[in-house]
Amino acid sequence: MGFGPTMSALMRNKTGPLLVALQIAVTLAIVINSLYIIVQRVEKMNRDSGIDVENVIITYVRGFGANFDVVDSITNDINLIKSIPGVMAATVSNHVPLSGSGSGTGLRTVADETIDAVGTGRYRWSEEGLDALGIELSRGRNFYPGEVDYVLPSSDAPAPASILVTQDLADDLFGEEDALGKTVFWGSMESSTIVGIIGHMHGSWVDWDKLGNVVIQPGKPAYTTNKYIIRVEPGMRDELTPVIEHELGQSNRQRVVKSVRSLEEMAGRTYRRDRGMAIILSVVISLLIGLTALVIVGLSSFHVTQRTKQIGTRRALGARRIDIIRQFMLENWLITTAGAVIGVVLTVIVAYWLEVSFEMPRLDWRYLPAGIVILWVLSSLAVFAPARRAAAVPPAVATRSV
Amino acid sequence: MFNYNVKLAFKSIRRNPIMTGLMVAAIAVGIGVSMTTLTVYYLMNGNPIPQKSDLLFAITMDSWSPLRPFDEDQPERGPHQVTYHDAERLIRLGKGKRQTAMFESSLIIEPVNEDDLPFEAGARVTFADFFPMFNVPFIYGSGWDKSADAAAEPMVVLTRELNERLFGGEDSVGKRLTMQGTQFQVVGVIDTWEPTPRFYDPINGAFQEVNEMFVPYSLTPILELTSTGSDWGWKAEEITSFEQWLNSEAVWVQYFVELDTAHDRNDYVDHLDAYVSEQKRLGRFERPLNNNIYNVTEWMEYHEVVANDAKVLLGLSFLFLTVCLLSTIALLLTKFVGKKSETSLRRALGASRKIIFKQQLVEVAVIGFWGGLIGLLLAGLGLQGIEYLYDAPAGLVKLDWVMMFSAIGISVVSGMIAGLYPAWRVCQIPPAAQLKTQ
Repeated sequence: MGFGPTMSALMRNKTGPLLVALQIAVTLAIVINSLYIIVQRVEKMNRDSGIDVENVIITYVRGFGANFDVVDSITNDINLIKSIPGVMAATVSNHVPLSGSGSGTGLRTVADETIDAVGTGRYRWSEEGLDALGIELSRGRNFYPGEVDYVLPSSDAPAPASILVTQDLADDLFGEEDALGKTVFWGSMESSTIVGIIGHMHGSWVDWDKLGNVVIQPGKPAYTTNKYIIRVEPGMRDELTPVIEHELGQSNRQRVVKSVRSLEEMAGRTYRRDRGMAIILSVVISLLIGLTALVIVGLSSFHVTQRTKQIGTRRALGARRIDIIRQFMLENWLITTAGAVIGVVLTVIVAYWLEVSFEMPRLDWRYLPAGIVILWVLSSLAVFAPARRAAAVPPAVATRSV
Repeated sequence: MFNYNVKLAFKSIRRNPIMTGLMVAAIAVGIGVSMTTLTVYYLMNGNPIPQKSDLLFAITMDSWSPLRPFDEDQPERGPHQVTYHDAERLIRLGKGKRQTAMFESSLIIEPVNEDDLPFEAGARVTFADFFPMFNVPFIYGSGWDKSADAAAEPMVVLTRELNERLFGGEDSVGKRLTMQGTQFQVVGVIDTWEPTPRFYDPINGAFQEVNEMFVPYSLTPILELTSTGSDWGWKAEEITSFEQWLNSEAVWVQYFVELDTAHDRNDYVDHLDAYVSEQKRLGRFERPLNNNIYNVTEWMEYHEVVANDAKVLLGLSFLFLTVCLLSTIALLLTKFVGKKSETSLRRALGASRKIIFKQQLVEVAVIGFWGGLIGLLLAGLGLQGIEYLYDAPAGLVKLDWVMMFSAIGISVVSGMIAGLYPAWRVCQIPPAAQLKTQ
């Protein structure tokens, strides 16, 4: 039904439909592969970091001058910050999770240098560190205040008695066994005991496959640049950021307040490549889909105008409006489907190129039918208005000579 | 004749504004997207120092752990930075035409005027050869003398921006600055210098801005200058003082050498091998001899300076351009078919096939030109978007003349290629054939 005239219309002018089919094929290849990349990037950005990112403020300060005493400065700064109403907890830390900048080390379960160590991010902060980041301890205990002391760069020995590790790191080290209370060895073959296990937290390098591996040492790092992690009451972050900056700036002229920023902003910067890629690809596929749809609308409208007389004749010979609509929809559906078939091949080729050249994960096959359905719907929508216009051609047109 | 062709082209374009608009839009979007990604790729893949990229070499020496390679995934590679003292000793041995070791640090600049606030500025800690080696342009003064390298004199070279901030842009040579409690003497101010990629330090960011000032390497132990860049270590060493840190096996210093001839290059690798062999006798460098030199282009490839994302976007956007050209061909075909009667009439009145063919091509060239022009505007917008999304230093991504002309060129040529088949089809219309029926 309706197939005859459609096919004969298509066969009469093969090049035009073939071009549209090719266009649809390449569109499919771009849309599916881009969509797959976008979904991966969005999933990556939305991973649970285990950190209360929204309510954390990060401050970098650095002292200078001959009379500057770094330990005094950190003590006074932390006391000052904690005296500001709305601040829940604060610590000095060697690095800031999610910042892109950090420190890494290797741990072993036995004191044998020839065995490969398990790679992990390494932080050093006070007993308030967990609170300051909103990280939850799943088992064991936090550091005791007595275990936390100032650590100067010249005495940054990595082997404290007690450490905390994340569950991910515990699993990498001990597998099925319970890691709590176990001993681990640093590169120096000195050892520490795991006293607490963090359910989940992310370290500094978001592109690293061991992002969830973190070990925490107790201490207050007194380095050149002092990094403060501050957690505030929910909703007070933007209000307190300038307050903290002002108070710190006023209290000590012997140091520079380098930056006071939200952890959310810093994490956003760390993920900017992924966000950028997702946004660019979204713009590209929107433009592409818009263009392809417009071209289909334009071509079908033109064909309708061209074929006014033929349509009138069909109508005069008894074809109903619905038959005319069906003819155009079917013609378009055939072209789209032919395009989709070529498109699947192209999509797989592009996906293979991405996988082999850029180590991207293999395309999930379910994206193929999803992409085809999207194209069907889109091209049907695009052709509907011109087809309706075609159906509106009165049968009497056939009797007129133009 | 050409003018007549153009006139007819405009007439035909005006007669069918929607089809023509679609064609221009298709080409514009295609050019806009592909020029945006091409510019980013071209920038990342650019040669930052074309005059000397074959003469400047980064060195690597495998000082890593005897138990495992620096990079387990690429075990043939040694660490891509060197230790503080290896760098210093190699400088003392000379051997290259010029050489410099360097790392990234930062210093607090104490206020020049009472009312100003102290602030932190990024510094490159390096040697006198840095400036002539890398063709660094100066507005005032010059780099420091080599004697300052040896004597650890507190001298500083400022960038134009920092000189603007500190001294209002005037000739500040001879002026003094207090940093880390030490008086530094300004010896030079460099002009705007934006090597892209920043070839001498891809490790700490190939698309970062150039550090705000330069100070002599020999000040490192005196002022206890620490690296703000990346460092790697493999050996568990007791480090309880800055001196022990400098003596450690940690690698955090970059080393470049300038070598003029192929002979010099071979000699230099031999020289590195000899140095390492000597160190082996002292119990260091326990891995097999693995010393290499990489010219600027090789060094950029080594560090994969062109991001994979940029390559993926470039590939996808050229597929996009294909879609746009396919649309253009389909639209042209349809449009030409609609011009059957006009063409027949012209042919019947004596226009040759050649003239008709030329007529069609002129028409697509006009469409391609407009598409290219609008596409360029879109690319400008796209690049601004990318600058914002990736937080690139202002003005880093921009369209230069080469890109602009190639954009217009690509769109006119691709428009004409797209027009070839439709134009040929139109020429096949026999004269007067269309006139008969109506």
